[in-house]
Amino acid sequence: MSKQYKAIGEDIWKGRTEKINAELFALTYGALVVQLIQDYEDYSEVNKQLEKMGYNIGSRLIEDFLARSNIGRCSDFKEVGEVVSKVGFKSFLNITPTVTHSQLPPTSPTTQTNTAGASFTLTLDENPLTEFVELPEEALEGGLWFSNVLCGVLRGALEMIQMQVQVEFISDVLRGDESTQIQVKLIKYLEEEVPVGDD
Amino acid sequence: RHCNIVYYQDWHRTKRPKPAGEGGGILPAVAHSISPQTHYADPSVQSAFASPRNTLSSTSGVVIAVNNEPASPLPGLLQMPAPQQQATPPQPMSELPFDEEAKLVYGVILSLRNMIKKLSGRDEQFVNYRTSTYKLHLYETLSGYRFVMLSDHNTDSLRFVLRQIYTGPFLEYVVRNPLVTMDSRERGIDNEYFRASTDRLIRGLSVFP
Repeated sequence: MSKQYKAIGEDIWKGRTEKINAELFALTYGALVVQLIQDYEDYSEVNKQLEKMGYNIGSRLIEDFLARSNIGRCSDFKEVGEVVSKVGFKSFLNITPTVTHSQLPPTSPTTQTNTAGASFTLTLDENPLTEFVELPEEALEGGLWFSNVLCGVLRGALEMIQMQVQVEFISDVLRGDESTQIQVKLIKYLEEEVPVGDD
Repeated sequence: RHCNIVYYQDWHRTKRPKPAGEGGGILPAVAHSISPQTHYADPSVQSAFASPRNTLSSTSGVVIAVNNEPASPLPGLLQMPAPQQQATPPQPMSELPFDEEAKLVYGVILSLRNMIKKLSGRDEQFVNYRTSTYKLHLYETLSGYRFVMLSDHNTDSLRFVLRQIYTGPFLEYVVRNPLVTMDSRERGIDNEYFRASTDRLIRGLSVFP
């Protein structure tokens, strides 16, 4: 299954996307973060704003993704993690983060990965957003997550396909940690709202 | 989440869609012909919008494109009447105000979908249904957008066409346009480029008369 996803991701990246200059992209994003810092002057607020922006991006990006990849519904949350990293990240950023799945200890014998609390962690070996970036002292102390927009994107995209998730950075190379890791935790599946019948 | 119609376009309707009543629940910017008439604008403005329309209902809702191929001659709706020409009698309007029509369509689709899901599980999808006069095609995305097309009953499945609308004009002019709120409860997603490009797409089809 995962080989298939890899192939799909490769195929979309090679054939069906328009590409822009990576440096332009990194510089634009950097300028954006700097501007936010100047405007808000509070690093946790900047994190929040980045996440919000990411959310708006994500809720549209998912349409792009679905239209192009033609992928059907994932059977469980584990598969969601695979698709996100092998097809999603690949087709938009040309990187394939490694996925590690984890789950709350199951209370029942069944080993479904669909229970709320299931999560996966994406480990990014390279991050196109941080090509030329080094964080200054205040940012490190203030707790800035430079690429927090990615968390918002994941949250927005998954919410449009009926999954409510909590996404956050666990570690970031920019902050001096060993690796860059994002954790995606499933809160619940969203059910469709049926309008009140007026007959 | 809610479901509401956000866009409408038609090509060969036999009867003109009746404008929705005030407060009937049709959002502004769905389509000009069906928004409640607050006042009669001057005829030249009116005629500019008399050209065919497409219905897109979304916000986890429905996109409806009406493409009837009637046995009777094409209705006058397709022609753009000159501003001075008031003499041509207006085409008969369908009996239901448009918001009722939209609700009916949505209701049908929702009930059929639920029934099918109960009968065969999550993976089966409702594709189309046919009556003696028309055929309704549905394409539903994982993200909850529903695209509906009504056509002549002899047509083959237009599901692929609906998918083409999704991956083409919808993606380009709605998703990628940051000024169009996709999940709005107050506005439809009518905009010129989108209307024009779906129009072009449909008119280019082989099944289009």
